[in-house]
Amino acid sequence: MASMSSSPTESAIQSAILLSKVELHLDRVPVLQSLSLDVAEGGRLGIIGPAAGGKSVLLKVLVGLLKPDSGSVKVRGTEISDGDENTLMDVREEVGMLFQNYALFDFLTVGQNVAFPLHRQRDRIRKSSGDTLSDSEIDERVEARLLAVGLAGSGNKMPSELSGGMKKRVGIARATIARPKLLLYDEPTAGLDPVTTSKMYDLIAKDQKETGCTIVAVSSDVNALCTFADDIALLHLGQIRYQGKSDSIADADDELVRQFVSGADQGPL
Amino acid sequence: MIGEGFVRSIGRSTLFAFREIGGVTLLTGKVLRSLVPPRFDGPEFWRNMYRMGNKSLPIIALTAFFVGGIMVIQAGVFVKKLNAGQLVGWGAGYSIFREVGPMLIALMFSGRVGSNNTAELATMTVTEQLDGLRALAIDPITYLAVPRVLAMTLSLLVLVVLGNLIALYGGALFAMLLLDLEFSTLYYSLVENIGWMDFVHGVIKAAVFGASIAITSCYFGISVRGGAIGVGKAVNAAVVAAAISIVALDFFVTYLLP
Repeated sequence: MASMSSSPTESAIQSAILLSKVELHLDRVPVLQSLSLDVAEGGRLGIIGPAAGGKSVLLKVLVGLLKPDSGSVKVRGTEISDGDENTLMDVREEVGMLFQNYALFDFLTVGQNVAFPLHRQRDRIRKSSGDTLSDSEIDERVEARLLAVGLAGSGNKMPSELSGGMKKRVGIARATIARPKLLLYDEPTAGLDPVTTSKMYDLIAKDQKETGCTIVAVSSDVNALCTFADDIALLHLGQIRYQGKSDSIADADDELVRQFVSGADQGPL
Repeated sequence: MIGEGFVRSIGRSTLFAFREIGGVTLLTGKVLRSLVPPRFDGPEFWRNMYRMGNKSLPIIALTAFFVGGIMVIQAGVFVKKLNAGQLVGWGAGYSIFREVGPMLIALMFSGRVGSNNTAELATMTVTEQLDGLRALAIDPITYLAVPRVLAMTLSLLVLVVLGNLIALYGGALFAMLLLDLEFSTLYYSLVENIGWMDFVHGVIKAAVFGASIAITSCYFGISVRGGAIGVGKAVNAAVVAAAISIVALDFFVTYLLP
């Protein structure tokens, strides 16, 4: 199987993601404030926090869709905060992302959506080494991925024919099919029932075991995310309020963190 | 005395106009840069050629056919009064090739294809599909905008050529039915008085109008902000901008070309 190109600094990479004092304003409103974050290569970080706290914005900063006003953003050793398009394209080739609103291409079928990253990867590999992934190999991988997310036989449907939960699973299939080295999930289990939620996290964990990728997941389902992630960060008003092991977050010193995790209606939130 | 509100409103409108002109210019630059050397998605180009060109043909043909007829009806009064039947072929051909054909077909194309293109791109923008492309290391300009600009420009060019011929046919048919003119009179009036430049003039206009509709419709689609309301506003702005640009460009091309 063809592999994705590695960055020259791969051997020196220790942090898959390294953010330092990142500031970002949208329409003059501060969204991220002096935010610093370090995610180890191969780690699983879960990001939780109250609504409109900057979680989705943070994921977009990590893939270069939003450029910070100041601060440093290093993804797998490459600085992307200056917004240079060529650098961003190189970094994005190693990233898979699931969007909160799925972002499925509505002019393509489910199968074509899932196959999309593989076709792009094939074009790039063809340019660099001449090796190709055959159409039948792509079809097989798409079918296997759809089977893994519980949507076998849905390849010919259009996204408009799917429910929200099904779209989410197609999004997961598309984000993971090219085996990227960094996976960003924005609400991977929103709209899914508890059993499917558990299955999705199992699938994501299994994929990670095989590829060794780094995962950053944003979710409102605190319990499921804490079970899945090694580390948890709580983002509140654009700042990291807590970062630590997921199993100790319930005992955090910060009252706001404890209230958010327990869901109590009395407290600073 | 001029109120502060009025001055503010002028300032706001001026800034808005310059921002939009700047945005269209930047997009035009990016599209041109993607053409040398060619970097765009081939399958997307052919998909758009089919749905923008082929699927527009029936409505363009119908419009063109009646446009030819209208021109003959309008000219009929004077043709009869002045007994100038031998000028009908030339008059219809000259105005259709140079002006009426490209202009009306472009406006029709803008309403059918341009507005649809803006709505589609704007919906893709507000549903994060463009961000989805970027996250997959794909430039939405080269993947979506460039194939559409090329497809719309080429489609309109071909549609204008075909539409002109259909308009001439419609004109000839109505001239024979309503003005009792012979086909041979119309034919010789046309071929003896119409030169290649009359035809080329219209073709150049078609290409210019096509590129203008394509760029404005892509720009307003990609730069949309807000949800469904934003999509509606973008479509409205794109149709208005395309119509204004067609008329303005028509003036300049008519002025500059022989």
